[in-house]
Amino acid sequence: MAHDLGFWTLQALNALQLSMLLFLLSIGLTVIFGLMHFVNLAHGSLYALGAYFAASLAAVGGYWMGFFLAPVAVAGVGILLYSGLIKRMRKSGPMAQVLVTFGLIFVLLDLTRIVWGDLALAIDVPALLSGRLTFLGVEYPTYRLFIIVLGLAIFAALAFVLGRTQIGAMIRAGVDNDAMAACLGINVERLFFIVFCVGCMLAGLSGAVAAPLLSVTPDMGLQILIPTLIVIVIGGLGSLRGAIAGSLIYGFVQTFGAVLAPQLSSVLIYALLATVLVIKPVGLFPAKG
Amino acid sequence: MFRHNALRYAVLVLLASAALFQAFTAEYFGLEILTEILILAMLVLALDIVAGFGGMVSLCHGALMGVGAYAYALLSTTAGIAPPVAMAGAVALTGAIAWAIGAICSRSHGIYFIMATLAFGQMAYSYVFEAPIFGGDDGLGGIARLDLSFIGIDLNDSRSFALFCLAVLGAIYGASVLILRSGLGRSLTGVMHNEQRMRALGLTVWRVKADVFGLSGMIAGLAGVLAAQHIMYISPGLLSWTVSGEALVVVILGGLGTLVGPLVGAAAFVVLKHELSAVTTYWHLVVGVLLIAVVMSRANGIFGWIEARWGARIERRLTDATRKPEAKEVLGDA
Repeated sequence: MAHDLGFWTLQALNALQLSMLLFLLSIGLTVIFGLMHFVNLAHGSLYALGAYFAASLAAVGGYWMGFFLAPVAVAGVGILLYSGLIKRMRKSGPMAQVLVTFGLIFVLLDLTRIVWGDLALAIDVPALLSGRLTFLGVEYPTYRLFIIVLGLAIFAALAFVLGRTQIGAMIRAGVDNDAMAACLGINVERLFFIVFCVGCMLAGLSGAVAAPLLSVTPDMGLQILIPTLIVIVIGGLGSLRGAIAGSLIYGFVQTFGAVLAPQLSSVLIYALLATVLVIKPVGLFPAKG
Repeated sequence: MFRHNALRYAVLVLLASAALFQAFTAEYFGLEILTEILILAMLVLALDIVAGFGGMVSLCHGALMGVGAYAYALLSTTAGIAPPVAMAGAVALTGAIAWAIGAICSRSHGIYFIMATLAFGQMAYSYVFEAPIFGGDDGLGGIARLDLSFIGIDLNDSRSFALFCLAVLGAIYGASVLILRSGLGRSLTGVMHNEQRMRALGLTVWRVKADVFGLSGMIAGLAGVLAAQHIMYISPGLLSWTVSGEALVVVILGGLGTLVGPLVGAAAFVVLKHELSAVTTYWHLVVGVLLIAVVMSRANGIFGWIEARWGARIERRLTDATRKPEAKEVLGDA
């Protein structure tokens, strides 16, 4: 295995790109869970919807229209889900929530098949981001670098909003103790709604971003669900730090595992998850001590 | 603790006679569907024991079933061991693996328990998918059924095999009731309702959880062995997490923690699947809507709903006035 430095840089970039994609998806899920104690298994389906919206919109008005409007459309679907189902499920136990959202996966899966058909769709990378850039001595596709930059930018923005602004303080207070936060005059219910919409929007965004890389198929939501859940469980539910740490761990273990030990690569990440759960049953960086 | 009441007995008799009627009258296709129902019923019984009576919602039971199927296939074909011994070996191996998973996961609760079992299930799936000995994506074929010719039964006939599966299911149901009524089963329900208190009473909580999980794994393994014998071919898809998810859906649609309900659920699910997929390719949509409706209605599945609505009335009518009516089953919100 005599690979030069460039090879490892390339793999590191691949790992980082996968991590950022997972981060975009998992941050919404983890904050929704942390704040609302709501397990939304249908998050992956929202990601698939984002990819489909992006593909349809891109066919009409080009890539950027899909990129900007797909998250909004998915947030719209999120609002419908919130007012129709999730608001009513807030008080029920985690088991009921898991099952309702599991049913939702089935429903959304078949709805996408009815609307868009079974065939895979593809969107082209926009002209601005096609081609390759030389970065740290290696040639790397510009679009993948764009995903890395986008992920880091969103991480920075969320870190700023959650850590430095008033609404961030309110969200943190809600995650920590929602009853007490409500007593202090914070409209926790409205906060839930906003966080849920932003989470859906980020799921839609990651779908739109992933669409040119992977082909858009009805089961893409199911495929991404397990990695996303692994990320948030390794990282610990409810925290930004956990989501980014979990994403990086998953991305690097998966990518370097495939290079170094191809036989074991897929078992490796599950073994890691099991180890984390045995040693720290609530993940590495849970929102609550 | 698990109790039978008049309604449960009535539904059991009804199910058994329907299965027997189907087994003796149906043609080939009907028998295949019956066998599919019976094998799914074994899996969901195993799941109901841990989820309904121990609060351990497992997403690895599909994988355990797959482990049983693969262990039997390898032992009976590659290793050339006689089918009865291979069956026992596969069941024991699955039980041992399930015991270990139960022991490791015993500290986790709620969503973390679900995720941990999911991780172990996916680990088995990935391993089977990639290790060359298991035939990878192509699966394994040429699996022999049990040879019962010495008592004059040919299990290669689908009618005999369906009846054989029905007998096995009956035995499993009996064993499940015995497990739940034993000291172990009572401790398990105690742990589900209040783990702290059971620990304070001096119970080794992790042992109880691991033991029951191991027993439940043995049942899932046996279901896997029979699934392998039924189709005579296995592929890694058997271990996929969606199989576990589907089993959980069946348990919930039927009625968590009632044992009888999941049997009803298994029959309803398989029939619904076949009927709907004949009409439309979008049968997942119907199942999804049904699942959401059942959970939102807050009833404990189809059987739980019937029991809550008519159980008490039937109970009063059927039991003697001298006997006190059965206390309403306390169902924990797993």
